[in-house]
Amino acid sequence: MTEMQLLVRFTPLDWMWTALFIILMTLCGILFYQLGKKSESEFFLAGRGLPWWLPAASVYSTHTATDTPMWIGGVIYKWGLRGIWYPFFAAWCAVSAFISTRIFRRSLAMSQAEWQNLRYSGLGAELLRGWLSGWQTFMNMFVVAWVSAAMGKVCFYLFGWPPWFGITFFTSICAVYVLMAGYWGVIMADFQQGVIAFIVITLVSVWAIVEAGGPLAIVSKLDALGQGWRANPFHFDGFWGLDSNHFYVMDFLTLLVMATVGGIGMGNFIDWYPEAQRIQSARTVRDAAYSIWAGGLSTVFRNSFWAVSILAFFVMFPAIESEAQYEMGWFRMGFEHMPSGLLGMFFAGIIAIHLSTIASHLNLGALYATRDLYHHYLNPEATERQLVRAGRWNTLFILLGAFLLGLFMQSITSWLIFALWLQAAGIWVPSILQVVWWRFNSWAYLSSWIANLMMSWLVVWVLPALGVLPELPNWVNFWLLAGLVALVYIPVTFLTAPDDRDHLVRYYVMARPLGWWEPVRAEAIRRGLITPSGDLRLEAER
Amino acid sequence: MSLFRKNWTAIEAEEWTPHDLWAAVLSAVAYFLIAVGVAGVLLFQLWGFVTLAAGIVCTVVMLRIIDPKLRAISTEFETKEAHYLERLNRVTRWETNDER
Repeated sequence: MTEMQLLVRFTPLDWMWTALFIILMTLCGILFYQLGKKSESEFFLAGRGLPWWLPAASVYSTHTATDTPMWIGGVIYKWGLRGIWYPFFAAWCAVSAFISTRIFRRSLAMSQAEWQNLRYSGLGAELLRGWLSGWQTFMNMFVVAWVSAAMGKVCFYLFGWPPWFGITFFTSICAVYVLMAGYWGVIMADFQQGVIAFIVITLVSVWAIVEAGGPLAIVSKLDALGQGWRANPFHFDGFWGLDSNHFYVMDFLTLLVMATVGGIGMGNFIDWYPEAQRIQSARTVRDAAYSIWAGGLSTVFRNSFWAVSILAFFVMFPAIESEAQYEMGWFRMGFEHMPSGLLGMFFAGIIAIHLSTIASHLNLGALYATRDLYHHYLNPEATERQLVRAGRWNTLFILLGAFLLGLFMQSITSWLIFALWLQAAGIWVPSILQVVWWRFNSWAYLSSWIANLMMSWLVVWVLPALGVLPELPNWVNFWLLAGLVALVYIPVTFLTAPDDRDHLVRYYVMARPLGWWEPVRAEAIRRGLITPSGDLRLEAER
Repeated sequence: MSLFRKNWTAIEAEEWTPHDLWAAVLSAVAYFLIAVGVAGVLLFQLWGFVTLAAGIVCTVVMLRIIDPKLRAISTEFETKEAHYLERLNRVTRWETNDER
């Protein structure tokens, strides 16, 4: 943990804001307890009946975590405004909303692991479902851990509380309403938390800009410091290069392509998994599309506010070299410059940011453990009551595991860049291929996952540490991993049989995927399962 | 086929058409312009206001293109959803042999 501390003094008004907020959140659990306990579908998808703005608020608040301002603060302080291209991966939502979201919503799969079972057939599909559900159970525990670690860091910074207390206290409050009301509690609390977080982020960021002298003063101070390039989001250090301390056009293009083209696929980014749950909780295909679109856009909007407030922080404190210190920039701007009374509201906003992410990942991890592991593999005949009970036990299991992991985490930024970007590199293309190409089969996707997990650690951490590879910039790592993993899954695709034709036809008729599905589509037409619109026009003309 | 078509039959809406491609492209462009535009506006730069305005125009055009089609897809799919959900539960419970 960092040695840096601020030690904020709260007035009774500040504590009142904080207490009111905590009471409001736990009330959510009590109010929606009856709905959440009705069935597995209610506990994990709120009965699949939500209007678009509720899951949209949840997308926004889930992806606004305690560690997010640290991460964005870190990249903006280091790279200037061009650093906004790192968190721009949220733009996958822009494309996904009208392509993969539509396909996934039509599949009706409760989780991405279940979708594997609908898209693929046989033993490969079962192995994929088992693998993804186990992996996601662990990943959600890991996300809860790193977000809780960030909260521990903030509480130590503000109040000098020991890290273990900051890690466990607020996360435990959140667990109360997730355990009681499941996804109903998550979504209703997320809506309130999203609104609160949006107001607080806007307020604190604008406050920071004003404290630095206003928008034009920030630009002129940057110029005076000889750092005017920091206000330019398109300032690059050449087209390409291998120096990881430079930001090249290739970094920008890689981030842009990865985000937008990645929106065609499913599972390219770890954010896909919580979004998949929100997509299925929307009441129609249209609601699902708009929820992802609006939720993603609001995170992009939020990033720009944070980015400019970090520029304000930079002109006030331009010589910080420690990553652990400058990634706390946004928090410092709020706590050092806002007046008493508003500090409590800021802290309530931070709790909102924290709880919304924790709640989503607790429920999501429990969804994979319950629907895919317990229901599908351990107890297929489970009653709805048993499934809800299993959901609650799994929530508790993820919570306790996350506390253990959270106590060992140190730096937020490097973990996030690794987990959000590099660990997705090898499965980026396969995650698109499984959506758009009928011939891509379960063995190919499974092999890409295994190869990616091994190679990402080797290329990014192990080989550079052993001196076998130089430390490469992120854009090279991304394409290198994408290429290396392709050497595994392309041969596997052609050396193994395609998925069962009946299974593919059923999936095609239900989900209507985009891309190269002609043999499957022709078979579905031959069986009279679908009518191509061209035929209708011909009939009308006759 | 008009890009701003308002009436879709269910079967037509289920097919992938240039409307979907246009919506996805305009949506990504809108995200890009809004990200840059909001930052520029907060720094009170002229390019920020212009970029943000362009992002809003892209969003409006995108919605006009895709919304009628999405409505038609949703209406059609809702009629089949209960049957599909039943099948999904059979898959989870390993009761899929009756489908062949």
